[in-house]
This record gives sequence, structure tokens and C-alpha cells, in this order.
Amino acid sequence: MVLIIIGHPVSTCTRRVKTALYEKGVEFNLQVIDWPGGEHRTEAHLQKQPFGQVPVLIEEDGFILYESRAIGRYIAAKYANQGTKLLPDPSDLKAVALFEQAASVELADFDPPASGLAYEKIIKPRTGLTTDEKRVQTLNQTLNSKLDGYERILSKHKYLAGEELTLVDLFHLPYAATTELLAPELYESHPKVHAWYKELKERPSWKKANEGL
Amino acid sequence: MVLTIIGHPISTCTRRVKTVLIEKGVDYKLQTIDWANGEHKSEAHLQKQPFGQVPVLIDEDGFTLFESRAITRYIAAKYANQGTKLLPDPSDLKAVALLEQAASIEQADFDPYASGIAYEKVFYPRRGIPTDEKRLQQHIDTLNAKLDGYERILSKQKYLAGDELTVVDLWHLPYAEMSEKFAPQVWESHPKVNAWYKALKERPSWIKANEG
Repeated sequence: MVLIIIGHPVSTCTRRVKTALYEKGVEFNLQVIDWPGGEHRTEAHLQKQPFGQVPVLIEEDGFILYESRAIGRYIAAKYANQGTKLLPDPSDLKAVALFEQAASVELADFDPPASGLAYEKIIKPRTGLTTDEKRVQTLNQTLNSKLDGYERILSKHKYLAGEELTLVDLFHLPYAATTELLAPELYESHPKVHAWYKELKERPSWKKANEGL
Repeated sequence: MVLTIIGHPISTCTRRVKTVLIEKGVDYKLQTIDWANGEHKSEAHLQKQPFGQVPVLIDEDGFTLFESRAITRYIAAKYANQGTKLLPDPSDLKAVALLEQAASIEQADFDPYASGIAYEKVFYPRRGIPTDEKRLQQHIDTLNAKLDGYERILSKQKYLAGDELTVVDLWHLPYAEMSEKFAPQVWESHPKVNAWYKALKERPSWIKANEG
């Protein structure tokens, strides 16, 4: 039984996990969830993922894990000795701390406004709801000011946790890709951020994760 | 030089850090930032914390770290052998994975809505911005739905990452307290979640972190 990811090819969070799996050279089978058919709300799915979300990892021994960032971390740790190095040495407390600082920044400072913009400008129209343009303005302003912080960080070192690429840089890709298309001026006005993002999106793992979309 | 936390006694994120320092029995000094006079936006502060936020840890050797959850993880790891055990054994990949699953849930599924309620009812009005009642209700409704997920988890195990307390349970305290104050029905309608929260808030570390 090969490692299974329950998810969907277009899902941002599924692509976040696929990218990590490709970086580490780990084989997997994508089991596509029937989202329009409401499979994510069935009792069978809620038993695996109590919030009715994807992706979910099912390991070869049946171990179940959800939350794309937790799945990415688990893969990066389990396969530490193959593929791209994506985590600091666990015995280096300070390097781990700086990794966790970057991980928290991604979730607390970047993801809310970036995923919020994706929701307003892409998901809402797709589901027949109306974009709240006032909210879009607020989200743009928030993301812009957060990218000021990112610009400071990336002026000091090459990647978010230090001089080496880590999983946290890759966590940004799905919503960085969306917001760079929706609001390119936010990235253009933050040159270090822009350069960092442009380099990340060229990674073969990200391209492969988006194949067919 | 003792470990310093740059923060503020009333700051939710500062209290999150204080709670863990107290659980681990680690001495520290709280350096109160002059928020009213905009110290958090000064160049000196931005050099330490590029987003103009608190708390910031300055360790005894000058090592600087920000983000309350990163600070608490660092303290819990550095002082693994004293105080309350707050992290799984790092060599147990599955236990670590389940901690990371819980940590991600807290930041992605709990914090935006619980803190959103706090922003609409407390922080925005304090800044002269009126409560957006529609947005407040959206946060309450979403938190209610998310707590359905929490109820499932806490019906199977005692804490969020398994049967042992971890830092992740403690992270919830500041915004659990504030959201429970303004939307008690959301908590009361989820009995396992409510019981888990009530037990956490009785911890001496949380009581001490809120002193004064």
C-alpha cells in the first residue's frame, strides 16, 4: 500500500503537500475527493478529518494525518535523508526556533490576508457569491504592510528561516501564486520578496504539483 | 542578563508566552513596550520584530526570537527537562506529527475566528473603530462550526495532540477566554471542548500570567 493523499488537484493545500512530496522524492497516490458530491462532509471523511477538509495523508501503515503543513513537516522529517533538505537539524535549538518563527509568520501574517484575497476574488465568484470590494481593499492593505515585514527579513537573509531553503518558504507558494496574479503591484513594490517568490515558483516540484491546471 | 520578554502585561500573545515560562519554571523579566507612544513602530523595535509586534524574546546570550508560538516552542524544547512536559519526544515521528497537526489546527481553524471576535468587541473599539456586527457574527458562526471539529477530537482523547497536555493546548487560552466571554453559547454547546477549556484556565500558570 503506497502513501495516499486524499485531496484534489486544484486544492491549494493539496498542492502544498504535493510540492513537499516531490521535493523529497516520495511516491504517493492522489485519491481525489468528490467535493461537488459533498464527500468531505460524509461521516466516513469526518472520521478522518473532523473539520471536513482536505488534504489527508494515509500512511502505508494506516497512520492518518491532516493539515497540509503538518503533513509537509512529517514527510520532511521522515524522509530527512533523501531529496531536498527542508528542515533544520533538530538538535540545533536556535535554527529550529528560527524555523518556527518563520512558520508562525506564514500562518499568522501571510496566510490570512493572502487566502482572504483568494476567497474574495476567486472562490466567491466561482460559488455565485459577490466579492466584497471593501474587504478586498482592507486585505490588500494588510498584505501590503505584512510584505513590508517580509522585505525586512529577506533583506537580511536569502530565505525566511535563514540562508537555506526550508519547508516554510514552500508553504507560501499556493497563496503567493494567487495573490501575485491578483495584485502584482504588492509584489513589485517589495523587490526582495518578489525575487524570492519568483525563484521559488520555478522549482520543478511546484511546476509538477500544478501540472494539468 | 536574565531572559527578557519585550511585551505588555495585557497583550494576549505576551500572556501566551508568560504561561509557558511559568509552566517550565523559567525566570524572566518583562520589559513593557511603550505601545501608547508607538515604540512598536520605532526603527529600534522593527530591527528586532519586522512586523512591529510583541512579544519578542531576548535570550541570555542575546538571541532574539519573535512570534509567541515560536517563543513557547523554544522555551519548551530548551527546558525540556524541567517543569511541565509540553512537547512530545522529538524522536517519535508520529507523536511529533500529531502535535504539528494540532498546532496547525490552532492557527488555521481556531485563532482567526476567536481572535476575530476579540478584535471586533475589544481591540477595534479601543482604537475608535466601531464593531462590524456582520463580521462579528461571521466569526461567531465560523468558530461554532470549527468547535464541532474540536468536539470530535476531544471526544476521542484528552488533549488536542493526544492524551497528554502540550504547548498547543495552552496556546488557545488567550483567545478562548476572550471568545468565551463574548460568545459563551458557542462554548457551552460543545461540552467536551468546554470541559477541556475550563480545566486549562484553572492552571496556576495561566492564573499567574494574568495577575495584575
